[in-house]
Amino acid sequence: MNTIKKYVFYCIINVRHAHSWKAHDVAMASVVKREKMASVSEMYDVGWEEMRDKLRKWREDNCRNSEQIVDVGEELISEHASKLGDDIWIIYEQVMIAALDCSRDDLALTCLQELRKQFPDSHRVKRLSGMRLEALERYDEANKHYDAILQDDPTNTAARKRKISILKAQGKGTEAIRELNEYLEQFVGDQEAWHELSELYINEHDYGKAAFCLEELMMTNPHNHLYCEQYAEVKYTQGGLENLELSRKYFAQALRLNNRNMRALFGLYMVSTSVRSMSQSVQQTG
Amino acid sequence: MAGPELLLDSSIRVWVVLPIVFITFFVGIIRHYVTQLLHSDKKVDLEALSDSQVLLRSRILRENGKYIPRQSFAMRKHYFNNAETGFFKKVKRKVVPKNPMTDTSMLTDMMKGNLTNVLPMIVIGGWINWAFSGFVITKVPFPLTLRFKPMLQRGIDLLSLDASWVSSASWYFLNVFGLRSMYSLILGQDNAADQSRIMQDQMTGAAMAMPPDPNKAFKSEWEALEIVEHKWALESVEDDLMSTDLNFGTLFSRDIKSAAMF
Repeated sequence: MNTIKKYVFYCIINVRHAHSWKAHDVAMASVVKREKMASVSEMYDVGWEEMRDKLRKWREDNCRNSEQIVDVGEELISEHASKLGDDIWIIYEQVMIAALDCSRDDLALTCLQELRKQFPDSHRVKRLSGMRLEALERYDEANKHYDAILQDDPTNTAARKRKISILKAQGKGTEAIRELNEYLEQFVGDQEAWHELSELYINEHDYGKAAFCLEELMMTNPHNHLYCEQYAEVKYTQGGLENLELSRKYFAQALRLNNRNMRALFGLYMVSTSVRSMSQSVQQTG
Repeated sequence: MAGPELLLDSSIRVWVVLPIVFITFFVGIIRHYVTQLLHSDKKVDLEALSDSQVLLRSRILRENGKYIPRQSFAMRKHYFNNAETGFFKKVKRKVVPKNPMTDTSMLTDMMKGNLTNVLPMIVIGGWINWAFSGFVITKVPFPLTLRFKPMLQRGIDLLSLDASWVSSASWYFLNVFGLRSMYSLILGQDNAADQSRIMQDQMTGAAMAMPPDPNKAFKSEWEALEIVEHKWALESVEDDLMSTDLNFGTLFSRDIKSAAMF
């Protein structure tokens, strides 16, 4: 009995020891792992070519997953810079914009300096330095940068759009709308700008004009179900029987274009019930 | 006149036919790189750019106007075509006819084009004519009339020789045009070694550029827009939607892909 007790006691102590030892080791391991975990390629077991292709795919799809871009891009730049060849410049640009999003000023500055060294007179690089100033909230200097670009090349759309976004960042919604209108008068085909204008109008609750902008987008992209759905939502918000009927038609169109659009389906349901209740009340009063 | 079947010395093939091919090819590639070096950026005119976009918008309105409500379409048509205040009626652009002789930028462009394309062709054509003269190179596979003889058989004065037998100069010109597709394979599309395209551009260059007459373009766009009627595509969309099944069968069977990077 004694030996059994001793044995059991011995086991318990050992186990407890083992537990505490394990906890300590786990803590140590996690410290080590934290330093190792920074490496994307080891986490996902990918080579540098796959990382580069992934960055290209994100570039083409215009994704805004800035944290991922920063993680992948930073490693690519710091460790595989020589293997990238000429691709590295566009990766610098992509990573710089993502770094500004994630508030990584150090990384952004490094990328910008490399680009400036390689392309000293480029408007594109000037625009990037303007964007960095914007991120640091030095709006007046950024404005001066963009004005310099525009003096040199009045057709540069990127600089004009950055100026408008400065106004937006400063909260001057009406001025931004005015500038964007002037921009669109000259560059009628810029779809990104039309979309931005519709958003600005929605923020100002000017739904009629927002609907106009969305109509432009619908005309140029008749098969895009998202524009139909947004237009229908704006019409629904405007209210009034004709607008509701129009909205119902466009929700239906969005569903026809893409039957997986849940928002359109729900919108169709809401509009139909609203129309029904409205026509009922009209019947009752009229 | 079926001429005698000549048997040509095989050294002609090795020392004439193939060298001419290589010469043409490499001269083309050199031309491409030289053009790239001498290339100057064209300054884009803001007004011209804006006009072209407006015309594009009007064209889109004509084609896809049926996707927007009737009133919106009428609003836009009114904006463009109204008798007093319409864009196409009101806006008259000042047309400055671009005289090739006095317009400096076009002059330099023309000179550069001539230098890189026509000059090498003349020089090398002449050299080949001088160097490889006095014998026939090859036979074209189709029969030619006698009228082609002086053109294709330089330096050979045989009356009885079939016109299908050609000399080196014609083989050179054949190569110049034939190697176009090789250039697009090696140098990619839109390369400067593509001579025939450049010649086409020179001929239609004045007609293609917008600046010569935006007014005319406006007028034709106005006419086209006038006759367009609005036939709303969404007239019966709800019935169409209700008549078919929404097909939700596969909607939830696919696994949601995780947001992992790779």
